[in-house]
Amino acid sequence: MSFNVLIVDDSISIRAVIKKIVTISGFKMDNCLEAGNGREAMEILADNWVDVIISDINMPEVNGLEFLELLAKNDTLKEIPVIMITTEGSDQRMKEAFSRGAKGFIKKPFLPEEIKKVLYEVIGVGNDGQYEEDTRTADDLDF
Amino acid sequence: MANTKKIQELLMTSIFEVFEKMFFVFLEPLDEDIQYDMVTSIQFSGPVKGEIRTYLSRGVASIMAQNMLGLEPGDVTDQTLEDCAKEALNMIAGSFLNKLDSTQVFNLSIPQYEGKTGQFNQDKDSHAILNMTFDSDDQYMGVTMNLETEKN
Repeated sequence: MSFNVLIVDDSISIRAVIKKIVTISGFKMDNCLEAGNGREAMEILADNWVDVIISDINMPEVNGLEFLELLAKNDTLKEIPVIMITTEGSDQRMKEAFSRGAKGFIKKPFLPEEIKKVLYEVIGVGNDGQYEEDTRTADDLDF
Repeated sequence: MANTKKIQELLMTSIFEVFEKMFFVFLEPLDEDIQYDMVTSIQFSGPVKGEIRTYLSRGVASIMAQNMLGLEPGDVTDQTLEDCAKEALNMIAGSFLNKLDSTQVFNLSIPQYEGKTGQFNQDKDSHAILNMTFDSDDQYMGVTMNLETEKN
């Protein structure tokens, strides 16, 4: 199983670095889509299925927090996990992002391991980059 | 409110952290005038407001781009240099403000780029509370910071 990833950041360089880190981490990535801000991201999401979004906060036009609001209002898109990756790492800003639906938070500057760890946690894959299948049987479930 | 010495320490720590972690560039403080080729500025507001400006030689910006993106020297474009300079300042400002007070919310502007050249000491902002220069293998970086409290 492989996943489609959308990277939203106004910096082309940061998008390239994140893409490279995700690729070399062993994460099973099918398509890697890119947007320069929240508005562009919504346009991409209108035409493409995405499994996880990695988004900056400080962007022109539609910033990361506004982007989270747009996603939350959309029944089709609101379940997509979003990881915020940003320089704005205050406790309150993190709470604000989580309250608007973010599932993970990474502060810039970051180490490759930090992106990999949060990405895997959010989407639920193991350290080998493989999706962790639910191996429970009916006997394991407590009804 | 931290005093100027503390602010200088926090800003310097943020600069080292960003340059080493993201760009694999190791800077040393320098007490000399430097030639720069690129200026980038960012404003912040919140409990305190102000501006940080970075002054980069083209050489250090090129090394930053090569190291971060894994590019060969000939593949580094002006657009890449500009993007790296803006992103470096964005990260320095965010890291600094988080160190200054992580319980407060600060708002950062979008970094602005100016492709001008000059001598740091001739051009540096006389109103700045901080002026610092750094060297990395004979490539240079300077930074200035303006800071004002809400009362001002």
